[in-house]
Amino acid sequence: MAVQGIWSGTISFSLVAIPVQVVKAVSPGRISFRTLHNKDWSPLARRMFCPKQEQIVLPGEIIRGYEIAPDKYLPITDEELESVSPERSRTIEIVEFIDMDEVDPIYFDHPYYLVPAKGGEKAYRLLAEVMARTNRAGLARFVLAEREYLVAVKSTEGALTLFTLHYSEEVLPADGMAPKAGRIDAKGQGRMAKSIGKMMADFDPGKYADKRREKVTELLKRKMKEQAPVEAPTMEEKESEGPPDLVAALEEVMRDMKRSR
Amino acid sequence: MSRNIVEIGGRSISLSNQEKALYPSPGFTKAQVLEYYGRIAAFILPHLEDRALTLKRYPNGVDKPFFYEKRCPTHHPAWVQTAEVVGDNSRPITACLVNTLEALLWVANLASLELHVPLARAGSPKTPDAMVFDLDPGEPATILECARVALILRELLSRLGLAGYPKTSGQKGLHVFVPLNRQDATFDDTKQFSKAVAVIMQKNYPDLVIARMAKELRTGKVFINWSQNDASKTMICVYSLRAREMPFVSCPLEWGELEHLSKLGDPDKFQVIHAEAIRRAEAMGDLFREVLVKEQRLPHI
Repeated sequence: MAVQGIWSGTISFSLVAIPVQVVKAVSPGRISFRTLHNKDWSPLARRMFCPKQEQIVLPGEIIRGYEIAPDKYLPITDEELESVSPERSRTIEIVEFIDMDEVDPIYFDHPYYLVPAKGGEKAYRLLAEVMARTNRAGLARFVLAEREYLVAVKSTEGALTLFTLHYSEEVLPADGMAPKAGRIDAKGQGRMAKSIGKMMADFDPGKYADKRREKVTELLKRKMKEQAPVEAPTMEEKESEGPPDLVAALEEVMRDMKRSR
Repeated sequence: MSRNIVEIGGRSISLSNQEKALYPSPGFTKAQVLEYYGRIAAFILPHLEDRALTLKRYPNGVDKPFFYEKRCPTHHPAWVQTAEVVGDNSRPITACLVNTLEALLWVANLASLELHVPLARAGSPKTPDAMVFDLDPGEPATILECARVALILRELLSRLGLAGYPKTSGQKGLHVFVPLNRQDATFDDTKQFSKAVAVIMQKNYPDLVIARMAKELRTGKVFINWSQNDASKTMICVYSLRAREMPFVSCPLEWGELEHLSKLGDPDKFQVIHAEAIRRAEAMGDLFREVLVKEQRLPHI
């Protein structure tokens, strides 16, 4: 299978090094729309606007500022930000193995597949199989696009998957979310367990589809049959009518033509 | 798949699926498509000559999916001439040149019912040898409105000292070709000129003409598509079949005929079917021959 990776390098721990590519594991199912101008169907572009001067600000005039207090900023340059970016790295170094059951799903951010590169197939299979059997995952640091992520490498149906994890300080505390502790009687517990037990099923995500997406797709199909699409004007049409000499000549000819009719 | 080998000009061509109805409604078969192109060859070949062909193939007939092919299929016979031209992503591609009867029949045998060519020859891709006004009616306007626009255009051009030549698109519109055949012609000039003409026509006939691309503006009007005057664009070649329900042809007309048809007021009467196209060409000669030879210079530009 030819896949387009977003990163390639090796995944390693102790004496093991497996060449891999990182590829996307999910693609967003959302149907996206362009914004258009309802006068001439031109697709709209975003521009940065200075509300004070009431004008569009060009890219060369835009800098970053860290807001210290209202209307007080600390300007910061791209170079300064870059100086604190992690160094690019070609390895995903597993620093420890953990039990997957210990990781609350709240930490999972974004999933990727790891695809073995040439020569890495055997070690890849071995690692995937052992981790699957033992329900283990490797914890590693991973640098992607100038950010360092904490990641878990686990096994999903024979393939290695990589999840970027939220750092613990990103996860908001659950304090105050749950009601205060109180007495729960055994009878209530039993009833609840029974109702849940009755509704137990194997996890089968294929049963559920994004209903809105389906409906939007249906709507688009229907509209495609019913009406012709609108078309944005080409950019060139914003120019003048043409060379002044020619325009003058054409106007004169047109006048003569209409007069002689 | 049935095949028969035919000998043409000392070349043998393997023709496949001759009995397949590429136009199912009239039952017009591939053999008839080949026969049409064989008989029109003397008239169409000079217009195809040395132009990078875009194939528009309908392998399963006009009511089934088609595809464009700018590249000459890699399995082309050695005797099909080719040229290196600039493709869509400004990368060079190898395109077919239809310079011989064999090449024409080979292309037709690929079910390329429609033959599209640029306004410039492959050897001088930046030099258009004609300027074109592509008149495209927006419903409920029809070819009748196109004819009105074409006749106004004819007068406008003639007052500027230019001769234009009309043909049906074979679909719903008309094309007016203004031959240039000069080495100093540029697409910049033809585009500016045709656009200025389109804009002035729109200004003077706002209920009839639109010079802008936006589809919803076209309703009931004729869109003068000046943007076809571009090195990257192709036009349906004169005498090419069109992939519509019936095997209509993009056929040259005389101005007098256009006036007459315009008075008759029946849009269907403009359409020229394959047999009629051959009969006309054999009786009248190539009404588009001037497009290939007449030298004209665009004034005021």
